[in-house]
Amino acid sequence: MKMCKVLAVVLALTMCFGMVSAYAVTPTDNDVVIAIEGNMSSMDPHNITDTSAISATRGMYEPLVGFDEDRNFIGILAETWDISDDGLTYTFHLRDGIKFHDGTDFNADAVVANFDRILDESNGLRRTPNWYVTAADGSSTPRVTVTAEDESTVTFVLNEGWSTFLNKLALITYISPAALEEYGNDIMYHPCGTGPFVCEEWSEGNFLKMIPNTDYWGDIPSVDSITIQEVPEAGTRTAMLQTGEADFIYPMTSDQEGAVAGDEDIVIDSVPSNIMRYVTLNADVEALSDVKVRQAMNYAIDKNAYIALMYNGDATIADSVFPPTISYYAPQTVYEYDLDKAKELMEEAGYADGFDLTIWCDNATQEIKGATFIQQQLAQIGINVEVVPYDVGSMDADIYVERDEATIQMWYVNWSASDFSADSTVRALLHSSMEPPVSANTAYYENNEFDKLLDDALASADPEVLADLYAQAQAVAWADCPWLFLAVDNVRSAHQTYLTGVHMDPDGRIVYEDAAIAE
Amino acid sequence: MLRYAVKRILSAIPLLLVISLLIFMFIHLIPGDPARIIAGKEATSYEIENVREQLGLNEPLLKQYGIYMAGLLTLDLGNSIRNGATVFDTIAPRFVPTIQLTLLAMLWATLLGTLLGIMAAVRRGKTLDYVSMIIAISGISAPSFWLGLMLIQLFCVKLGWLPVSGLTTWKSYILPSFTMGCGVMAIIARFTRSSMLENLKEDYIRTARAKGLGEFFVILRHAYKNSLIQVVTVTGLQIGGLLTGSVMAETVFSINGLGRLLVDSIGFRDYKVVQALLLFFSLEYIVINLIVDLLYGVLDPKVRYD
Repeated sequence: MKMCKVLAVVLALTMCFGMVSAYAVTPTDNDVVIAIEGNMSSMDPHNITDTSAISATRGMYEPLVGFDEDRNFIGILAETWDISDDGLTYTFHLRDGIKFHDGTDFNADAVVANFDRILDESNGLRRTPNWYVTAADGSSTPRVTVTAEDESTVTFVLNEGWSTFLNKLALITYISPAALEEYGNDIMYHPCGTGPFVCEEWSEGNFLKMIPNTDYWGDIPSVDSITIQEVPEAGTRTAMLQTGEADFIYPMTSDQEGAVAGDEDIVIDSVPSNIMRYVTLNADVEALSDVKVRQAMNYAIDKNAYIALMYNGDATIADSVFPPTISYYAPQTVYEYDLDKAKELMEEAGYADGFDLTIWCDNATQEIKGATFIQQQLAQIGINVEVVPYDVGSMDADIYVERDEATIQMWYVNWSASDFSADSTVRALLHSSMEPPVSANTAYYENNEFDKLLDDALASADPEVLADLYAQAQAVAWADCPWLFLAVDNVRSAHQTYLTGVHMDPDGRIVYEDAAIAE
Repeated sequence: MLRYAVKRILSAIPLLLVISLLIFMFIHLIPGDPARIIAGKEATSYEIENVREQLGLNEPLLKQYGIYMAGLLTLDLGNSIRNGATVFDTIAPRFVPTIQLTLLAMLWATLLGTLLGIMAAVRRGKTLDYVSMIIAISGISAPSFWLGLMLIQLFCVKLGWLPVSGLTTWKSYILPSFTMGCGVMAIIARFTRSSMLENLKEDYIRTARAKGLGEFFVILRHAYKNSLIQVVTVTGLQIGGLLTGSVMAETVFSINGLGRLLVDSIGFRDYKVVQALLLFFSLEYIVINLIVDLLYGVLDPKVRYD
């Protein structure tokens, strides 16, 4: 009898868990809640580099130039701009009549005041190093001089050719000089920009709530408010979306898809990212110094299986050292999965019996899974791989050492250039001057031709020249195989069907200026 | 008793100094470099060196410790390495949700844990004993991460009764405080039971019954009151644990408490915030231990403070 009662209780509980939600989710208000995994480090747009904080501040702050959907530059606070023939002087013509949230005018002086702040190294701002050239002895010189020509014209004079200038400029947004004067570096608690939203409350480590800027120069947002809430646990984010507590969530991890399968009110979106997945091959390791071995290893990886295993098929096979969303991307011929060819190349290189290697990876489950897949694939051509998971801090301590102390062999890792520039996509990873401890060229890839192509491109401002130089650089690196080329991720988010106008940029930034809730 | 309390408070000062030294040493032993994290992944070693200099991280460790101690003595905990806010401004807002949830969790866990423990002891070997102990063991065995997510599924997603995240209305406190209190409730129940069982065997209980005292008074006034010393000790320790923030419950319910701040700050190698938090947690334990010790005297007149 007792047993029956216990069984009845267990059954009742199981039914509770199994039943479909007993209520329909409909929007009850005109407020949008976006749940994100990351942590918004600050609301000072000059002192952030994390995508979460960039997503948040972009509602309140705007740059001179930005990107359209095809990653072409468009004017935002600047209407137009001219570039001098030598590529060293950029003149921006600002839009008229734009005001900051505190009612003061946005003009050329405001741009200069913002750059005065960014170029002052004593402010310790995270955006500052982008605007300096730092020499090996630690001395640094600014890359630009910024001058207000008149109320609505501002010039940037570069000290030397810098093809990524516009990309870096697109990362800078403008704060009211009056607010800067009043709050100094405490400006993060008092955001004051030109954007379509005004900060209502920022609870650090918790949420940011913004309301429409009724004096905005463009279209005034139609929603009553946007709240970006930090929700680190994927299961909780999904539950919030299911209950309507959140209208949009990012990221939507693949393990959560089952939970919303069949729910017609929830849409999962997937857009190609700028995140490259690859494995570095340290050319200082004797076996890996032979390009035939590196090519053989690339032929031994079944990229389709990798994408199916890691991303449920929702990713793109890497076909260059640039992801397709990066400027001047030029696709190459993929090293198709071909074990016979791989074995043949191994034999030609004198490694028919294979050899031993280690592969380092972050100790997150998904990263270990990826490294283990590489281990299994390379075993097919006799390479015996040991997977070594690391916490980030300890791995950094072992990577950024002098070359003769380096123990890294392979590193399963990913990279994305937040400014979408070709130079930022590969310089830190493949230029010979960037070997550890200076930066992250852990392949210890050294190719003078490749270095020269990158350096020439950095000094140019002519799009045609740049396209040609970067195409050559991509071909050189692709043939040399400093990496195992794997895949380019997709950025995945999910939202309720009643919400429109919110989407993801390839770099993981959430764009919500046009958010609207259907009645 | 007052003299004893003052003596204990004074003796806490050298203890805190030793703790601060240990914290400082261990935190700098963790591999990882905040300057590298701040400078960003595209930064070169030269840029990272500049950041290190700005943050004072390339000073000798002894000097850094001196600066830290000088700050502590003037109650200046410095600025967060991560975003430049003062450490006080970073920690203070997180303290409120943690203390609210701790008090709520302790309230229900102590009440229910005590009740279950007493029932189990009085009905030893009977169904009530087994049921109480099954509840207690389930409470201690269910990982709070799993429990939290299951509760969300049932009460938020399926039934739609409670909100999933944050601490906005009274309803939003129910699930996190329940999740946090489960383990504590179980521990209190088990301690109450074992302590009660020991006391129920004592001669004074037999005497109390022999003089015709009602069973209710025998259990509450005599057996339970004498079990309280053990229960108070374990409850004090549990409060200390909860006050340091329940990382799991705070993560699952997306609550902006001290536990999450500690984990985030360690990940970022935000030394200043981690140092301040650990020192604060140590202080909490010292204060709670003092209160527990003082309570002994209230509960047991035999205890004297010399």
